[in-house]
Parts: sequence; C-alpha cells; structure tokens
Amino acid sequence: MTITINPAIVSARVAKRHKNGRTPVFAYLSIAPIIAIMISIVGLPLLYSLFLSLNTTNPITKRWVFVGLGNYTKVFQSADFWAALGRTVYFSAVSVSGAIILGTVIALVLNEKFAGRGVLRSVVLVPWAMAPVSIGVLWSFVYAGNFGLLNGLLHDLGLGFFATAWLGDGFRALNLIALTQIWNQAPLTSLMLLSGLQSMPANLHRAAILDGAGPIRRFFSITLPWLKPSLFFITIVATINSLMTFDILWIMTRGGPGAATTVLSWLGYLQSFQFLRFGEGAATLYVLTALSLLLAIIYFVILSPNRRHRTVDQSTFSQTEETLRPVVRRHDMVRLPAWKPRQRIHPANARRYGRMLFGMTASIIFLWSALPVIALILISLSPAGDLIRTPPSLIPSRLTFDNYVSVLMADSGSTSVQAKRVPVSLLNSLSIGIVVSLVNVALGTLAGYGFSRYGQQRFFSGTLWALLITRMIPALTLVLPFFILFRSLGLIDTHVGLIIAYSSILLPLSSWMMKTTFDNVPISLDRAAIVDGCTRFSMLRKVLIPVVRPGIIAALIFCFLVSWNEFLFAMILTSTPKTQTIPVVIAGFLNQARFYEYGPLFAASVLAILPPVAIAFFFQRYLVQGALSGAVKG
Amino acid sequence: MASITIAGLRKSYRNTEILKSLDLSIKDGEFISFLGPSGCGKSTLLFCIAGLEEINDGSIRFDNREITELGPRERNIALVFQDYALYPHMTVRGNIAFPLQQQKVDQQTINKQVAWAAETLGLESLLDRLPSDLSGGQRQRVAVGRAIVRNPSVLLMDEPLSNLDASLRVRMRTEIRRLQRELKMTVIFVTHDQEEAMVLSDRIAVMKDGIVQQFAAPMTVYTDPANHFVAGFIGSPQMNFLPAGLSGYNNDLVLGVRPHDINPAKAAGDGVHFTGELAFVESAGPVHFLDVMVGGHLVKATCSDPSGLEPGSQITLKAPGHALRFFKSGSGARVHMSSQH
Repeated sequence: MTITINPAIVSARVAKRHKNGRTPVFAYLSIAPIIAIMISIVGLPLLYSLFLSLNTTNPITKRWVFVGLGNYTKVFQSADFWAALGRTVYFSAVSVSGAIILGTVIALVLNEKFAGRGVLRSVVLVPWAMAPVSIGVLWSFVYAGNFGLLNGLLHDLGLGFFATAWLGDGFRALNLIALTQIWNQAPLTSLMLLSGLQSMPANLHRAAILDGAGPIRRFFSITLPWLKPSLFFITIVATINSLMTFDILWIMTRGGPGAATTVLSWLGYLQSFQFLRFGEGAATLYVLTALSLLLAIIYFVILSPNRRHRTVDQSTFSQTEETLRPVVRRHDMVRLPAWKPRQRIHPANARRYGRMLFGMTASIIFLWSALPVIALILISLSPAGDLIRTPPSLIPSRLTFDNYVSVLMADSGSTSVQAKRVPVSLLNSLSIGIVVSLVNVALGTLAGYGFSRYGQQRFFSGTLWALLITRMIPALTLVLPFFILFRSLGLIDTHVGLIIAYSSILLPLSSWMMKTTFDNVPISLDRAAIVDGCTRFSMLRKVLIPVVRPGIIAALIFCFLVSWNEFLFAMILTSTPKTQTIPVVIAGFLNQARFYEYGPLFAASVLAILPPVAIAFFFQRYLVQGALSGAVKG
Repeated sequence: MASITIAGLRKSYRNTEILKSLDLSIKDGEFISFLGPSGCGKSTLLFCIAGLEEINDGSIRFDNREITELGPRERNIALVFQDYALYPHMTVRGNIAFPLQQQKVDQQTINKQVAWAAETLGLESLLDRLPSDLSGGQRQRVAVGRAIVRNPSVLLMDEPLSNLDASLRVRMRTEIRRLQRELKMTVIFVTHDQEEAMVLSDRIAVMKDGIVQQFAAPMTVYTDPANHFVAGFIGSPQMNFLPAGLSGYNNDLVLGVRPHDINPAKAAGDGVHFTGELAFVESAGPVHFLDVMVGGHLVKATCSDPSGLEPGSQITLKAPGHALRFFKSGSGARVHMSSQH
C-alpha cells in the first residue's frame, strides 16, 4: 500500500491552524460560562446602578426622573458626605495601620519554630474566619454599657470605677470599631506576610548575622525590604476591606452615636435602604466604588511594571562576560583592625531574654485571639440571669445548656419567636452554602484551567483582570441593583436569589483560586494526556482534576465559608424566616423591640462560628491556601 | 587569618547525633575541604564553626582564643553561602559595603575597601547593579567579595560552586585558589564534589555520619585511604571491592583496587590476576573501561588500546601488588600487609 500525501492539503491544514492561533475552542468554552454569568449578574446590575445614580425616584409614586449628574452634585454638596468621607479616611488609616503592625508581629512569631505553633496558627485564624456578624455581636457585648464583658472584667479586677458605656462616646466608638476591624483583619495580613517571610531564604539572615547586624537592624535592613511588595499589596487589600466595612457597623453602632461612626458605606446604606433615595444612595456607593478602584489601579500601575522588570531573563547574559580578565592593581587592601563588637549582654543571656520576650509575645497573641472567643462560648453557657447582673462579672454562676436547648429544641412556651428561627436558618445557611460552593467551584475549575493555560493571551488575561476588578467593588454597590431587579423578577426571599447574589462574589474568587492551582501543575501533564489519546475534556476530567483535588477542596471550603458568613446580601434580599440565613437571624435578635435576648443570641452566635472554627482547626491548610490565592475575603 | 582547633565537638538535633566527638586542627593559611556525601554533617560542622549553630559539647578555638561561647558576630568569620544570600534590595556596592557599615568603619575606608574587593574580583562595572540583574557567576563573585572585604580571620564556603554550570565551576575554583594564595586566608570549603576538593585543598577532611574518616593531603587520601568508605568515596570510577579470598588472601578481608591499576595482563608477573568474561567496553577518549565478570563480581578495569577485545570473550586482568588495598570486611578498617601471597 502506498501512502501519498498531498502537500497542498497539508499546508492548507497548517495554515488553518495558524489562523486559529494556538488557542483551541475548548479554552474559550472553558471560560464562556463564567463570562456569561458575570456579565449578567455583575455587569448588568452595575450598569443598572449607574443608571440609578443618574435618576431620582419617588418611592410612593414610583416615578423616575432623569437628573444626569444631579445626584452626584447633591452628594458632593452635602456636609454629611464630607463628614462621612473624613470618618472613612480616619477609620481606614487606623484599622489598616493597626492590622498591618499587628499582622507583622503575628507573622514574625508564627515564622519561628516552637512547640504549639500549629495550634497558635489555628487560634490566630479564628477571628478572621468568624462571621463579621458574630464578631459584631461579640464585641458589642464586650463594650456594652451596663453588663458588658469589659466592664465585668474591670469589676472583677476591682477597677469598677473605670466602667463606662464604651460605645457611648462618638470618637471612642469610631476607634473601638476600628479596633474590632483590626481584630478581624490582622490574621489575613499576618497570613500574607507569613507567606512572604517563608519565601525569604534562611541564609539571608545568617549572612546578615555574620556581617554583624543585630536583630533590630536585620528587621529593618533585611526583613522589611523583603516584605515591601507584600506590604504594599496588603495595604491595598486591607484598605479596600475597611472601605467596605458594613456588617460590624450594622451590629455594633448603626452609624451612631449620632453620626459618629457613619462612614461612607453606612451613609450609602442609609440613603438607599432607610430613606429609599436610591439615586442618591447609588451615587454615594459609586463614589465608594471609585475609591476602591482607584486604589486597585494605583496598585497595578505601580507594581506591575516593577514585577515585570524584576524577572530578568537569565539567558540574556552573554557567556563572554564570565571570562576573568587579568587583574590590574590600582587599589590596595585595607587591613582593618580586628572588629570587637560591643557586648552588652552575654550571648547566653541574650538568648534567654530573647526566648522570654518571644514567649510573652506569643502568649499575648494567643490571648488576644482566643480570649474573646472563649468569653463568647462561656457566656453562651451561662444562665440568662448572669448576663444582666449588677455589678457585672465575667465568671458565670453556673454552666448550663439552657440557651442551646431553647434555640435548637423549640417548645411553644419558653422559646421566643426569634429563637425558633435559628434551626431553619442554620439549615438555610448550610444548604445555600453547599449549593453555592459546588456550583461555583465547578465553574471556577473549568475557567481556572482556561485562565491558567492561556492566560498569556490578551483575551484571557483581560478577562482575568476584569474578574479581579469586580472584587474591588463593594458589595453594597451591587446589593442595591440586586434588590430592585430581584423585586421585579420575583427573586426576593428565594434561595435562588441568594445563590445568584453569592455567585457574584464567589465566581471570580473560585476561578482565581483554581487558576493559581492549575498554574502549579506542569503543562507537560496536559501534553502527555493529549499524546496518550485524551480529548481536551477527558484530559481535564481524568488527568488534571485528580491532580488538583487539594485545590478544589480548598476552593470548596473557602467558598462555603464566605457564603456561610455573608450578611449584607442575605439581609437585604430575604424577608421571611423561610430563607433567612443564620447571620440574618442573629442580627434579628438585635431588632427586637423590648430587650435583647442575650442567652439565645449568644447560643446562636456560637453555633454560627462552629463551622469557621472547625475549618480553622481541621482544614487550616486549605483555609490558608484559599486566603493566599483569594486574598480578597471582606 | 587564624588557625582553628576543634576538640571533642558534639552536636545533636533532638535525639539524632549529627557530629560525634569531632577533633580537627587547621593551620593558619591552610585551604581545607570538608568532603562527604549529603547528610554527613559537613555543613553542620561549618555552621558550628561560624556560630550559627550552637554546639552541645566541646570547644572551638581560633589562634588559641576560645570562641565557643561567642556569637557569630564576635567571631570575625565570613561565610559564602551555597545560594549566595545576596541582599536582593541592595546593589552590588551595597552588598559588599554592608559588613563594613555594621562595623562602623568610616565611609572613606569603606570606599577604598569596596574598590579593592571589586577590582580583585572583576566586579567594577557591576557595582551599581542589583543582584537580580547578575548572572550566576557574577553573584558568586559578589558573595565572595562581601566575605573578603572585612579581612575575616577565617573564610568559610558552603558548596559555593554547586549552583554554577560545569565550565564556570572549573574557572571559579581556580579563581578561589588564586585568591586564597594571594590573601593567605584560612579557608574551609564544604563540598560533595571530590574533584573540587582534590584540586583546591591543602588537606581534605573526609566525613561520613558525623565522623571525620580521614584528614590528610589530597593524594594521601587517594593513594592511602584510611578505610573502606574513603577508598570508595574518593576516585572515579569507584575502586573495585572484591572478596580477598578470590585472589587467595584471607577470606574475611576485602580487596580494593582502582580501575586505573587493573589492566589486561600481557605477561605473567608480580601482582594478582583475575580471569573472567568481558561484558562491556566503554570508551571514554584517552582511556577505555572494561567491565569484566570475575566469579560473579563485576570488576572495572582500564586499558589504553581495546582493539581485539570482544565482549563475551575470556580475558585475564592483572593488578600490581603495590596497588592492592585491604580492608576488614566487617568494620571496613584498613589492613596493612606485605605485598606477597
């Protein structure tokens, strides 16, 4: 049998291939779903809210009037706006610098090897993994006027005369909210700094020791310059997170006392959902969005060219430059006198003091992270009467499961209406979390593959950056159009509505996480599978997905956690107990007119932090991986 | 520059002993190599001398000055790391000047000294570059520059050439040797590359399992190995080890003979003879290696002219008596015996 090859056909096929580029259709298919979904659930709502910001509405007559930039003019002319902007700047400055300084200390401690490091790392993560709503509940009870934990502690220590209504004073309240934000954000900054520290070659510090640099000098001359790029990134992320702060405000101060804690996000919320001035609210929120985007752009503009510059291609070095030329002597060696460094403390003592200082710092970090959570668990186990004792005290009179019994096994007599909602809301949170994470990780895995393998192509990299930019948009900006659109589509108060809303946050997150995961899988694996006869899809299914399974688990856990903790969307987009999630029900306790049902409230809060705490302790690795590749959780 | 005396040094991590009662005495201006397989403790020993690792027992003295208790900063030693550990955010000039700045040397002296180091290492045109803009060989020279700039009493090098490509490695080792002669430095050089150690050193400390197996001049280590391990570790291809009974010696001895000393026998005479089947001929340019199966053992031999040698044929090999080394088969200790049967 003879085989004849028609050269014309071959060259035609080759030409066709070239025309198509090297990107197979499969690559486009892999990111098509996520692009379509993101356009419809983020792009269109954003345009709609932009449209809103150019109109005024009358909530009673439902009349829309196009006012152009009128809303923006109104916003910029209002004293409230400038006051809120000032408070936002102050709040961000305090919380970001605090989170970075504290995060640096935590990262330095966790970077050392010591017994109990694994436990400390888990404990440190808890404040960040908890739902902001639970954090708000916890810290507002810490600062509460009559019966608060802080006052209780002061009374226990015999310092009762210091006790005061901590959140009563406006400026103090703003600072205490910032402190709460630091408590929540420091773990994230420390995680990112820790990964920076761990990528630092150990020999760098050894070299500096031998060169005569002491510990403080080494921190400023070696560690800090090494961390500079991470610090810059963290500053941006933390600033955007503080611009978006909303949940803890809602729980703790609601913008008060007076307007003392009314930052921009709260102002936008008030205008949109309390005063129903959608146009003005949208305008305020767009200003907030613009601020976040500005920060993001600053980051990309300043850092991206640097990064590109840094990876100098080693192959550009010519071989000839290595030839050693004969040395022409023009300089002579200076014989330095043998160096005698000042020895203030004997090395053995220095080591001992160092260890003591380290132990103290580690203990303080432990107490700072764990004590409030332990207190929350303790008060949830206290009888209701303990919480309104005069004078207050931290020590429970006895331990009881009454509060849990009343929220989990409702009986018609003693359980209040709100407490009865807890079991259903837990189930809602669980089912929504599971569905949302499965859907998003499935789509994200597909897209992550496309972005990882074809990321250098303009279309793919552009899409990827667009996805990342959506993470810089405050959820508040999205929730307003969601609310209005869902109302007309009948999606308010449905599980589907919440799942759609959550996907707007989680799709970019999961595809970014999966892209980073696929980046670590060598492309030769793809090629081997293709050569061995797989189609693109079966290669993904049979070869790559088993390899990236840990990354998929990390993405699932992370998406579940974000969905479990989410409050804003759930609060605005649900209205009845049949769809409310646990954070909404917890917040609902605070809406009750007469008195706070402290016991069931704390029991519900502890139930709400169980999954995050469990994840921090048992799936820490995945959580850290998620935090580092996502690095964007609010 | 200084002499170094190490006595009874012990080092363990948790329950594993890394260094087991180690004694070494290094003269002023000597070039010493620590040679051994990975995990033998050579880098740990270097870090103990540098003071980067605390020792459990024993003493280290520089010029009879006890330094065991001193921190690394006070020992006045310099170390060139395997990964060079250049400060990534400082220029070449900044890197080289850094140790002098820490010693609070005046700026003028720093400038002079940096100029001298740059000239010595051919780095003058690179002084304002960042380490990320340098090639591997240039980084290595910067690391050496940073080490020599402050006249350390001892220069320690931890596998400094292992990240370079082969031809550059050969050139850089010549350079290091020249520098050491010129500055009359005491150098301790850690390597797992026996060729590097042989070429560079005045003396080699061959290490295994935290114990110095032999500490002697390169050729002594090669021709007069202290035990089975040293004999097998030094020399390429590896020395042949055969049961001594095969040649009529005592059966609980191991006979060692280097491939270069064992050749096809042209005539009977002094030495031992082996007869076996020629399995394979490897031609490596000037020399040809013969793989011969002798009584179930593979013997590697050499010859200069392989013509007429057919794989599968019987061949007789001969090794002269002076080339034979004997070791106890259990402990591996060297056994000296007269060269006759």
